[in-house]
Amino acid sequence: MLNTHLVISTSNDLLRVAASHILYISSDGNYCNFFQTGGEMRLVTYQLGQVERMIAEQLPELSTQFVRIGKSLIINLNYVYYIHVPKQQLILVDGQQNRYTLSASKEALKALKELIEKNSL
Amino acid sequence: MIREENISDSEIRVIGGSNLQPTPTFPWRVVAVSLAVIAAVVAVVCLLWPKAPEQLPEQGIFEPETNYASLDNAPKTHPLQGWLASLDSITAVGTITKDTTVNDIPLRIYVPMNSTPRLEIGYGALDNRERNILFFQAADVRADNKKIVGAFVLRGQPLSWGLSKRGYCAIIDGKVTVGVADNSPLFEQATEHGGYFFRQYPLVDNGRLVENELKNKSIRRGLCEIDGHIAVVATQSTESLHDFAQALVDIGVSNAIYLVGSTAQGWSMDAEGNGTKMGLWDERPYKNISFIVWPLTSDI
Repeated sequence: MLNTHLVISTSNDLLRVAASHILYISSDGNYCNFFQTGGEMRLVTYQLGQVERMIAEQLPELSTQFVRIGKSLIINLNYVYYIHVPKQQLILVDGQQNRYTLSASKEALKALKELIEKNSL
Repeated sequence: MIREENISDSEIRVIGGSNLQPTPTFPWRVVAVSLAVIAAVVAVVCLLWPKAPEQLPEQGIFEPETNYASLDNAPKTHPLQGWLASLDSITAVGTITKDTTVNDIPLRIYVPMNSTPRLEIGYGALDNRERNILFFQAADVRADNKKIVGAFVLRGQPLSWGLSKRGYCAIIDGKVTVGVADNSPLFEQATEHGGYFFRQYPLVDNGRLVENELKNKSIRRGLCEIDGHIAVVATQSTESLHDFAQALVDIGVSNAIYLVGSTAQGWSMDAEGNGTKMGLWDERPYKNISFIVWPLTSDI
């Protein structure tokens, strides 16, 4: 059965979020912020590398829609709307047309641009 | 298999993908290892090289002779010592200010008298300015999601977590602590005692300047601990963070963290009730903006 939800559990709480609702995840020190469609943000007490591993393990069929960008971002490729390499700008747009402007290195954005171009062929 | 942290800011990788993994880049690792080996060889050579006897600086005609042995034991003095000692700490009200110039940097020092600060969220402090003797913007607001930057506790309630800046201010049971630490137990104490906590760039740590990455020049403000007083020091000209921090060290500040400068709102009111606005008061775009506020004693 296709697993469509990511479960992040700690000793105190549990977060279960549909992969399709994850816009991006940003690191915040030793923690991560989950930004979801509709504008909800939730902090989880795991490092970004640990969350990356959870995605790979729990969502094997869906994990390739997520891309790690540098040390501080994981994005959902399905919501990429605009990339401007020189401005180091990455804009995601969710289903309700909310815009989320992110920043990453030029090298990483160039690689992301090439990846999306390659996937669209 | 994912290599958990094996990625640089110039790379991307598809999670779980088998055909993509960090994007090919210049072999920095090879270069870094090579440089490390060269540096190690140079360090070993330097350590083994015979050293010249250590020399004290040559004495000049126009410089008084210095007794280097006694310098470390000399009592620490600074330009504000006499002024701070003269402040009437029992009956004084309002904010006492003093202008001084250090290293060609004009500074204004604000010392709020007989008031314990608290943190406030939103722009209420501006509207109630007559009830406050001093306030300045405290924590920063994130550019991407407009949330509070770094850990933040408001009257015992944690509103934000994370370590993006190492400087901190804790206000617990009326005691204000300014310091520098990655992890501070004062965060938890603030939540347990109904206190306050926020983070900002560190400027001075136990009398030593702390370097920061911000290099531009701007109006700078700092929350400072000096001779047992908590004061706010602001530049009257645009300065780099480094020069500002050095000026704080030179006037005798023992610990200091940054407060939002530039056009951020601020307010001070003297003993006669004369108030001074600072920054741009018409712009109020951030609901998560925070202020450190010293209320009138009667309002505490």
